Amino acid sequence: MDMNEIKEIFFQECEEQLAELESGLLKLNDGDRDPETVNAVFRAVHSIKGGAGAFGLDDLVSFAHVFETTLDCVRSNKLEPTQDVLKVMLKSADVLADLVSASRDGGGVDESRSRSLVKELEALAHGGSPSSSGHDAPKPAAKAAPAPVAKVDLPKPSDDSGFQPVPFSFDGFGEDDEPAIEGSVYEVSFKPRRELYSKGNEAALLLRDLSRLGEMSINCDTDALPTLDKMDPEASYFSWKISIRTTRSEDDIRAVFEFAEWDCDLEVKLAEEASSNEELPMVPVPFDLSILDDSAGGEDEEKTAERGVSEETVAAAVSAAETASNVSRTARAAERKESAAAAAAAQNNAAAAAAGAGQTIRVDLDRVDRLINLVGELVINQAMLSQSVVENDATGTSAVNMGLEELQQLTREIQDSVMAIRAQPVKPVFQRMSRIVREVADMVGKSIRLVTEGENTEVDKTVIDKIAEPLTHMIRNAVDHGIESPEKREAAGKDPEGTIKLTAKHRSGRILIELADDGAGINRERVRQKAIDNDIIAADANLSDDEIDNLIFMAGFSTADKISDISGRGVGMDVVKRSIQALGGRISISSRPGFGSTFTMSLPLTLAVLDGMVVTVAGQTLVVPLTAIVETLQPEAAAIHSFGANQRLISIRNSFCPLVDVGRVLNYRATQANPVEGVALLVESEGGGQRALMVDAIQGQRQVVIKSLEANYTHVPGIAAATILGDGRVALILDVDAVVAASRGQSMKPEMSLAATG
Amino acid sequence: MAAKKAGAGSLKLAAVLDLNEASNLHGKLVSMRGSDLKIDASGVERVGVQCAQVLVAGVKAWEEDKKSFLVEKASDAFQKTMQLIGINNENLVAKEI
Repeated sequence: MDMNEIKEIFFQECEEQLAELESGLLKLNDGDRDPETVNAVFRAVHSIKGGAGAFGLDDLVSFAHVFETTLDCVRSNKLEPTQDVLKVMLKSADVLADLVSASRDGGGVDESRSRSLVKELEALAHGGSPSSSGHDAPKPAAKAAPAPVAKVDLPKPSDDSGFQPVPFSFDGFGEDDEPAIEGSVYEVSFKPRRELYSKGNEAALLLRDLSRLGEMSINCDTDALPTLDKMDPEASYFSWKISIRTTRSEDDIRAVFEFAEWDCDLEVKLAEEASSNEELPMVPVPFDLSILDDSAGGEDEEKTAERGVSEETVAAAVSAAETASNVSRTARAAERKESAAAAAAAQNNAAAAAAGAGQTIRVDLDRVDRLINLVGELVINQAMLSQSVVENDATGTSAVNMGLEELQQLTREIQDSVMAIRAQPVKPVFQRMSRIVREVADMVGKSIRLVTEGENTEVDKTVIDKIAEPLTHMIRNAVDHGIESPEKREAAGKDPEGTIKLTAKHRSGRILIELADDGAGINRERVRQKAIDNDIIAADANLSDDEIDNLIFMAGFSTADKISDISGRGVGMDVVKRSIQALGGRISISSRPGFGSTFTMSLPLTLAVLDGMVVTVAGQTLVVPLTAIVETLQPEAAAIHSFGANQRLISIRNSFCPLVDVGRVLNYRATQANPVEGVALLVESEGGGQRALMVDAIQGQRQVVIKSLEANYTHVPGIAAATILGDGRVALILDVDAVVAASRGQSMKPEMSLAATG
Repeated sequence: MAAKKAGAGSLKLAAVLDLNEASNLHGKLVSMRGSDLKIDASGVERVGVQCAQVLVAGVKAWEEDKKSFLVEKASDAFQKTMQLIGINNENLVAKEI
């Protein structure tokens, strides 16, 4: 793995952390005060900072650091997460996201914006608590912490041999010689958890790194160690009290534990000089630890021989040490009790969080796509195979047939599972929208709340990727045009804070995304006038409200009084509509003047397969998406009624439903077919209301693999896509809505035909 | 210090006493209980805290059994790591002359 790949993974993780950060902040914004939420937010920023540090992304690190400091104040309850505070934090999250993408893709960020945010954050941190801001400020040691004084003569490193006597003699114990190094003394309490080791970290290495910061004395607490037969060799029992004299800051000390921080209990505080009188025994650590880096095992025979420490001295020293450490144990016992409860709670939380997060792997999207493509071919192949078996075996009872059926089921399951791999919740897209709402609302001076629902609705990744852009556009529109200014809202008797609601749900095999605002709704008079001015409709055209609303999807339409840089450049909704259609989706609008507008997008869940009914129309084989079909029926002559010149209705259970001759609409035949000879498919069209599609015969029901007609041929009005049938022939997939619309007398112009596939 | 008692077991520690070795070492110690033990840590190049835990637990277990548990030879790495992580248990410090 080269550096770029690692960096790429880092950025992927950043995306996740940013999402986590944002959702956490939004939860806090909604009044969630769960400490674990605050922790999650803090962790997200912290991880980004840590990773960014490793890659030398200094801008990112410095911003994340300030952000983290402020979050730390919230975490330690020094700063109340009020709405105002969270507003700054949400903005900071946005800037952090910008910095991340700037680091990845190059390009700049809004310097002044991040600078002013840094100031705001710092102000919050300082205002929140004078002592909490900046780690450099001296902190009062709450408890009489043990100080590092058991100074023993440190061995002088002798570089040539690497030999170093081990100072386990404690006869120097109690001497009060001041450490030579200038700097402050920090008390570090470090208790690793099992996870620290299982994640490949090694406490000994952390301690080694720590010892390099300065002069360190250490006391290992082995009390928690159970007996040999009861212990779990991979669990963590030891904990340490370290006191270190260093010129470095507390941050530097914490930085040593940077990547292990979540797997251990760590406390770093500045020791009061006065407390150094209460001396506790600690084993000083020599500075030359080079031996730990490179293994020089071969020389130790010689070295051990050189070691001239008499047995008696050892014994004496040991007993002294033991007495001393007993003393320190009692001293620490009380302190330990206090923190035990808190530590246990924290550990439980961490365990719950770990259990909650499922295991995932990252897979290159190309691989998944290749798999999906292959499975698609497999489905086609299986269909071809079963067809040829059926043709050659009239009895249909042979074992081959049985096997084929099982194969069919298996293929089906494989296909479903493969599709599920690509399915992703729409959550990340929705989260991005909340940022857009915030920013745009800020720009236009409106106060708007975004409510999202059904973020966990899953849909194909391609759909998710492509929905973001049109959705952004629509959100901007809703904020800019939809919601009125607070003054106007108040005058109209509404809550000055506008609400935009974004929902996602599954409906009949498609995903439905709704964007509703509680603004003024569409000003139909103005839309109509604008359409006439722009030569989109004739001045005397008689349009229904619905038709007027849908005019905003026409190319070159904008009703904004002034063109702002947010929306209203006249390239808006028609672009949105085209991108939705390109996805095989549809978009519609409903609006109530004074109460707001709702945009509804209906999108296919996947762009790869479809359950369809294979039908014959005028000798052609067509596939009708099964999700569109409500029921099928055999029309009787008595149920058919003529209506107008060439419209016919079919009466179904005492209601009338327009009959649509598919062969006629698609120009497969010149004259209308006799309904009694065909089959009627009752379909539900997107605009609501049912239509009976008339086809000649039903061949069967089949899952078909969608092959784009546009990519391979060209767009055909009334046809959504194509597929390959079991016999190897190409069949066209009917665009039900386009056909229904055409039957209402609307021409099937390319932009009107909706590429419906689901 | 040479072993004075008969029937003493001896154990040469692996070069790398990391997380993976901890269970192994634990198993070896458990199986050697009941008799005096001399430990040869001269070949040790790396010591992880978890192996140190096992060794300290071993010392305690042998104390309980009233048997001797001694590190006879130790490499510098072993000594230094023990010192680094603050283990000053006399039994884990080599004391041959």
